[in-house]
Amino acid sequence: MRLRFIPCASVVAAGAAILALIAGPANGQSAQGQAKSAPATRTATTAKSWTQPKTPWGDPDLQGTWTSDDCIGTPLNRPANLGDRLYYTEQELAQRGQNIERQQQNDLQETVAPNQRVGTGPPGHWGERARRPCKQTSLVVDPPNGRTPDLLPEAKLRPVPEGAGNNNPKADSWEDFSYYIRCISRGVTGSILPVIYGNGQQVVQGPGYVMILQEMVHEARVIPTDGRPHASPNIRTYMGDPRGHWEGNTLVVETTNFLGNRNGIGLNGGGTPTSEALKLTERYTRVGPNELHYEVTVDDPKTYVKPFKIAFPLTQEPGYQNFEYACHEGNYAMFDSLSGARAKEKAEAAKKK
Amino acid sequence: MFHLPRVLSAAVLFFLAGIPSSAQTRARPAAQIPRMPDGKPNFTGLWQALGTADWDIRDHSSQAGPFFQLGAIGAMPAGQGIVEGGEIPYKPEAAAQQKENFKNRLKLDPEVKCYMPGIPRANYMPFPFQIVQSQRDIAFAYEYATANRVVNMGKFKEGAVDTWMGTSNGHWEGDTLVVDVTGLNGNSWYDRSGNFQTDSTHVIERFTMPDADHVSYEATIEDPAIYTRPWKISTVFYRRKEKNAQLNEFKCVEFAEELIYGDLKKK
Repeated sequence: MRLRFIPCASVVAAGAAILALIAGPANGQSAQGQAKSAPATRTATTAKSWTQPKTPWGDPDLQGTWTSDDCIGTPLNRPANLGDRLYYTEQELAQRGQNIERQQQNDLQETVAPNQRVGTGPPGHWGERARRPCKQTSLVVDPPNGRTPDLLPEAKLRPVPEGAGNNNPKADSWEDFSYYIRCISRGVTGSILPVIYGNGQQVVQGPGYVMILQEMVHEARVIPTDGRPHASPNIRTYMGDPRGHWEGNTLVVETTNFLGNRNGIGLNGGGTPTSEALKLTERYTRVGPNELHYEVTVDDPKTYVKPFKIAFPLTQEPGYQNFEYACHEGNYAMFDSLSGARAKEKAEAAKKK
Repeated sequence: MFHLPRVLSAAVLFFLAGIPSSAQTRARPAAQIPRMPDGKPNFTGLWQALGTADWDIRDHSSQAGPFFQLGAIGAMPAGQGIVEGGEIPYKPEAAAQQKENFKNRLKLDPEVKCYMPGIPRANYMPFPFQIVQSQRDIAFAYEYATANRVVNMGKFKEGAVDTWMGTSNGHWEGDTLVVDVTGLNGNSWYDRSGNFQTDSTHVIERFTMPDADHVSYEATIEDPAIYTRPWKISTVFYRRKEKNAQLNEFKCVEFAEELIYGDLKKK
């Protein structure tokens, strides 16, 4: 989270809902021109002379606070008109870079110009922003069309709970809302996919362990790397049971033992809930002092017709740090949604009389 | 309270004899504790307090629980407190506040609602916690409510904002890890008995490993707003040794929603 955002527990949860309402659809810009080959290089942070540092006990050192901010707004699924094209052209990237600069200028404005649209939401600088354009046209990188594979018929039967963004949600009970809105968890992929804020991933390594602390919703993934077997399949969790190992300089994390029918693979854990058969294989590879390549293979034979892969860069940015995201403790959004729905029913009942 | 190992084999003696003079001048004998490559004690592991401090950090008798339906399961066990000297030096208004808290504990105890426990309470709740210690910072993941904190071992950093878990800055005093906790938001309790802190409470924790499987824990607590003097708690964390022991997930929000929002459910 950026330092300019001074959160307090009482506003954070409400802010999450409001910001989601005003965030709008992910980048509606249509791409033009013919597909070009993928850019050969990553960002300028990949120094040629850079070598992967090691911890004093000999593991590759991935420590730091990383963020997926640069791909905020990049859709999970590629727009169909872009076909198999994973990367934007240089020209398109330049255009997107200009958009980021313009947004930075807007964020610096302290006052609102006459006739400028003013919302009731929090100021724009509460959110996190990309610092440079994301090169990808989608976060799904395999299959080649950049789209999540089809759902199996049984998966389509699983209800998708209310996320933020609906002004008139079904609010009979807290159980109508997503596990994110309830401040329980966004799941593994939902906790790292880029959203409007809370993208921080702090990595702390010790001998035999990697811990990944995720700002939203204050998750702490404890990943043993000592080769121990998975926990009993009878122990099921939102965040699954991770086991890590090193392949060269890459941290590979296999996670199983998920509860079924909770979070999906979408932003904030939204979308069709996955099943208890879900297996995630993540690969964390540091490619420079301040850039890490992240990819995750999603294999859920009870939800999707085939496995697929999501990938995007994580970066370290000056001044960027995790803050405590006391979500449940300040979940006024839930209280207000439920009490609002009950008040509305009461008013409608009074009208009928 | 540090004893020489009872048996020093010839091999160990030989090894000790080979240690450079700087290590030999350490105040304490080299106990058999895990160490990092730089020689600092390595606290990485799964730890848990025993005892009943989460019920009441003071000495307490057993008593019936608030719900008769739970029978013996819901009753409060007796226990030795962890407060040195037995009593918390509350100012009179604060002492009255604690009694009021206790009366309304089912409504007010943050643990009932699955709120983050704060420091020091997180350490001695009836749940394990995992420490992962790097060559720099030290991360704590608590099973209860997925609460966590990272102890900054670098240059002292003030918290940007008050939080439930506070801001932890650590340093080494010999083999003791000293953690200075400020920036607590004042909403946390010490136990289920209404003992409480404020947003000016300052906690200084000391972690020492007398042997490989125990951590001696002490915390000095100061807050001129509600206590007449600084006071101290001390307890022990035990290493979880079961072959398959690991931090589990206790996302308790969903266990508290009916309690918190139940009256707002559609009838």
